[in-house]
Amino acid sequence: MSTPVQVQDLQEAEVVFRVKRYSKEKGDYWQEYKLKVDRFTQVTEALRRIKVKQDPSLAYRASCHMAVCGSCGMKINGEPRLACKTLVLDVVKKFGTNVITLEPMDRFPIVKDLVVDMTEFYDRMERVKPRLYPSKEVLEYKAEHRLKPEDQRLLWKFAQCIWCGLCVSACPAVKEDPLFLGPAAHAKGFRFLRDPRDTITEERVKVLADSAWRCTYCYMCYHVCPRDIEPVTAIKKTRALLKSVKPMGPAQEVGHKHSEAVYESIYTYGKINEGVVYVKTYGLIRSLVDMTYAFRAGKAKYALEKVEPVKEVEQVRELMRGE
Amino acid sequence: MKVAYYPGCASHGLSKDVDIATRKVADLLGIELVEVPDWNCCGGGFLDEYDEVGQVALSIRNLSKVESLRLNKMVTPCSVCLHSHRLAQHKYKEDSDVRKAVNKRLNRANVQYSGTVETEHIVWVLLRDVGVERLKQHVKRPLTGLKVGAYYGCQMLRPESVMGFEPAFNPRSLETLISITGATPVTFPQARACCGFPLMGSNPDVGLKLAYNVLSGATNAGADILVHPCNLCHLQLDTLQLKVVERFKLPQPLPAIYITQLLGLAFGFTPEELGIPKLALEVLRKKGVV
Amino acid sequence: MLIFETRENSRGPALDKATYDAVVVGAGLAGLMSAYYIAKEGFKVAVISKVFPTRSHSAAAEGGIAAYIEGNSDPNDSPDYMAYDTIKGGDYLVDQDAAELLAYKSGEIVDLLERWGALFNRQPDGRIAVRYFGGQTYPRTRFVGDKTGMALLHTVYERASGTDNVDFYYEWFTWDLVVDSDRRVRGVVAFDMRNMTPTFFEARAVVMASGGMGMLYKHSTNSYINTGDGYAMALRAGAALKDPEFVQFHPTALYPSDILISEAARGEGAVLRNNKGERFMARYAPKKLDLAPRDIVSRSIMIEIKEGRGFPGGYVGLDLTHLGEEYIKERLALAYEAALNFAGVDAMKEMIPVRPAQHYFMGGIDVDIKGRNPDLIGLFAAGEAACVSVHGANRLGSNSLLETLVFGRETGIAVAEYLKTASWPSSDVAKDVERSVDQAYSVVKSESGRHFGEILEELRSTMWDYVGIFRNDGGLRNALSKIDQLRGEINKMYVTDKSKVYNTEFFNALELKNMLDLALVIAHAALNRTESRGAHYREDYPQRNDQEWMKHTLTYLRGKTVEISYKPVKVTRWKPEERVY
Repeated sequence: MSTPVQVQDLQEAEVVFRVKRYSKEKGDYWQEYKLKVDRFTQVTEALRRIKVKQDPSLAYRASCHMAVCGSCGMKINGEPRLACKTLVLDVVKKFGTNVITLEPMDRFPIVKDLVVDMTEFYDRMERVKPRLYPSKEVLEYKAEHRLKPEDQRLLWKFAQCIWCGLCVSACPAVKEDPLFLGPAAHAKGFRFLRDPRDTITEERVKVLADSAWRCTYCYMCYHVCPRDIEPVTAIKKTRALLKSVKPMGPAQEVGHKHSEAVYESIYTYGKINEGVVYVKTYGLIRSLVDMTYAFRAGKAKYALEKVEPVKEVEQVRELMRGE
Repeated sequence: MKVAYYPGCASHGLSKDVDIATRKVADLLGIELVEVPDWNCCGGGFLDEYDEVGQVALSIRNLSKVESLRLNKMVTPCSVCLHSHRLAQHKYKEDSDVRKAVNKRLNRANVQYSGTVETEHIVWVLLRDVGVERLKQHVKRPLTGLKVGAYYGCQMLRPESVMGFEPAFNPRSLETLISITGATPVTFPQARACCGFPLMGSNPDVGLKLAYNVLSGATNAGADILVHPCNLCHLQLDTLQLKVVERFKLPQPLPAIYITQLLGLAFGFTPEELGIPKLALEVLRKKGVV
Repeated sequence: MLIFETRENSRGPALDKATYDAVVVGAGLAGLMSAYYIAKEGFKVAVISKVFPTRSHSAAAEGGIAAYIEGNSDPNDSPDYMAYDTIKGGDYLVDQDAAELLAYKSGEIVDLLERWGALFNRQPDGRIAVRYFGGQTYPRTRFVGDKTGMALLHTVYERASGTDNVDFYYEWFTWDLVVDSDRRVRGVVAFDMRNMTPTFFEARAVVMASGGMGMLYKHSTNSYINTGDGYAMALRAGAALKDPEFVQFHPTALYPSDILISEAARGEGAVLRNNKGERFMARYAPKKLDLAPRDIVSRSIMIEIKEGRGFPGGYVGLDLTHLGEEYIKERLALAYEAALNFAGVDAMKEMIPVRPAQHYFMGGIDVDIKGRNPDLIGLFAAGEAACVSVHGANRLGSNSLLETLVFGRETGIAVAEYLKTASWPSSDVAKDVERSVDQAYSVVKSESGRHFGEILEELRSTMWDYVGIFRNDGGLRNALSKIDQLRGEINKMYVTDKSKVYNTEFFNALELKNMLDLALVIAHAALNRTESRGAHYREDYPQRNDQEWMKHTLTYLRGKTVEISYKPVKVTRWKPEERVY
């Protein structure tokens, strides 16, 4: 027999929620609420109690409180999270303070308190045509689908996006680059691009190809995704699938050369030879221009540093050979 | 203590100074860095695009070399190398489809790996294994008066579930190390934002803009200089700094140095011994630090 | 500054009006299915939902969807067995024609969802996989990982949103049905939550697919949005709710969030323990122990807590610790992760805190197997909002997703049929619309008084304590008087927020009005049914009584009172027998 629910560190505490509030009429301001919580209390439950017992005017979204509806994205002590998938005392322990700030997600326009306008997010999702286009034969019951279990597993990983918007709110590339679809849309896009039952591959390629090379691999989306779908992994897989489809957009064209150069360099030397990769990606002239910056930064001496190739480079090549 | 050392490809090139300073500092602290024999590239964050299985297999080849040294920790100064290896280990452990495919290649190439090696960042080793107190004892030249922006970048922190050393949204390791040197750490809003380096190979305009965001953010927060934990951040923020300065008309550069370079200065090494880059040297001189 | 003062004072400008052939209220599985099949026939449909469609409660369904698939089921199974299981599970209050339809259409509906892209788990040969669920004679549950509802909701939303003729109005709050003097549905009044403006959605048909009502209870596995709006709208408009006394409680909801911990956990060996570490089910069900029927386990847990053998806060422990890490990870991953993510409990080391919670409402808007309500012309309902009488007195696991899809589609087809002949009535309903809007605004009149939150908490406690797992004459009368009192008080409710943008307090107040109307009806029907059947347990009438009570309750809201009548249960092939497992 086990010991009943164990006393472990903090069982209960009084915490202060500092909530960043906003209304059209009052502008934005901070408001504090004190609340006693136990170790099981989710942030959504804390918000519910605040609303029901202390301040009915507090506006936030929440629905399923089990991380499947994607309603309650917000910043909790600066970190984009689902409020339901966050236990209050875990935050207290992690940040070492019983004051917890709640703010609306970044990027999206604030409507009221913790509620943001997600129209832009939904538009992004719609751009990747988020639905299966099965063949006419299947829809007319002249044929049926089969799907390999391993394909189902792969696709399901990326199909679990709950449209919470956290990844897009936190993505640095989306912020700077209007041509980048953003992490969630790419995960959704890949899920259909890779689905063997789909029939509009050509159209999907047009939408996804160049955009996939506009991700900066910062792993923010991987970190913040409450369903662990790893949008950045979907983007990598999209690049793999579409690396040489033509016509290439500007980012894809450069990116494709770059990745190919990285691959070749590793295959040749077992290592990345910066100089060679640079020249292969951008051509000699552009490389020389950029080299001047390095020289002006006093790096000339390292530019001539020789890459020492891997001695057992044959072994490296063996590891790089597919089945 | 003795650990396996993985310098990473950039240390053979324009980030050579990262390697120089790291070896100096480790030596002083009594950390014996045994370079992984005949190591190969971790994939640089790009190989997995072409070949996910191959990227994992290549990382495991390095780890198997560490096992052959009878060591169980591999330390690297590069966040991207750290990230590649840890992520590869994570996939190998958690994803049975990947593991099966990788094992096939390992067998074919005659690479043995039993899974006993942990990949760590040099920052983690400094804080966890050496410890703040011992680091403090080595300070000979406190960098009093110098305001240092603590820039983490991406890959040492995220995803937290795989990196695991510190909270990705509340990291303190660099501030702690900066404080040890006697300098004043400056925390700024873009401390955990991307430097843009990974975009330099496909969308350099936005890549440079991201670098600008970091530099201007730290400048606005009052930093004299920036420290970072990554070979590739070094390429972007030091080697290409003047390109960013020119493109976005920054009033002056905000030089970036590697964290062990800052520590080395406080420990009494000369800038030359640490390979402190030119732009940084100018600022350090102006601030009277050297 | 009083909100909406312009409208209240000036009575103009004319209300915004939108015209559609049909309005569907709710964008969960049932609503989306209906909308899709109405639009498919070329009719214009508005889908109105107070949340973005994929945030509907359908997403919360985990386990799966039951289906007999020809050639991909146990060779001994048949749709008849499936219908029988459903009827028996529903304690014979199931309309047997509905159960047969559900069973016979189950295979094709799963097949259809697959064709639309649903990622059902697969067998090695690429066909849809299957597993067992409680109450099934043969394994029939099809699933998508452990998030079947979410997966199917996304699939159907993807399909419906890619269709012409469907307009989505998300984050619009539907407040009232508009019915003319001929008892004909004329549309709904709904508010755009972003700017609080009301619009009259004029339509020839309205489908209520507004989901359940778990928020009436202090403890519920339901989403926060499940406030029973559709039931209340139908009641106010003069339609009947059928069998509202039947509310399902699940014994093991995670404390305190009330997230469902599937009974698969107990099936795989988890045991319930009180604060003394005792395996208390031995006292209540010496043979079946932890695997006794849901209602018995729920009642046992409640007794333990009431008699002081629960843990502080009111829960018991679900113990997995003796099962070992490997077994837990392999067989009980879902329960393990829920406990870890939502209660911070590592179930390998300590017990999962659980307690019973409201889970499902078998009652609903009275409809036939085509989703048609007999009281109001043009009113349809589907999903949990409806009572097709397919679940009877107790719903089986894996049957709710199935119901939303099968009857969502049947309803959509029926609406399209109806629209082909239904004319546009000409009588003017402007006055009715005005009255409805004014009624909504009336909740913001008071400048002081009680907030919705205080009244809400009292209602939820009352329902939990007296109209919950145990019911008796005295308790139900208590509940009724309390509900009466609260219904009086909401007329003086104080909405503190006067903002004209996304004023959730205003909508919470409207929801509370709906909840109180519904609560009154449920409590009345529960007091009225003097027997125990399925989920309805009367301490003072502990036996099922087929002689007097093998019939459906029909309830109508008449101002402050509830009018009750009856309807026979449709029996086709299966005569009632004792419900023993």
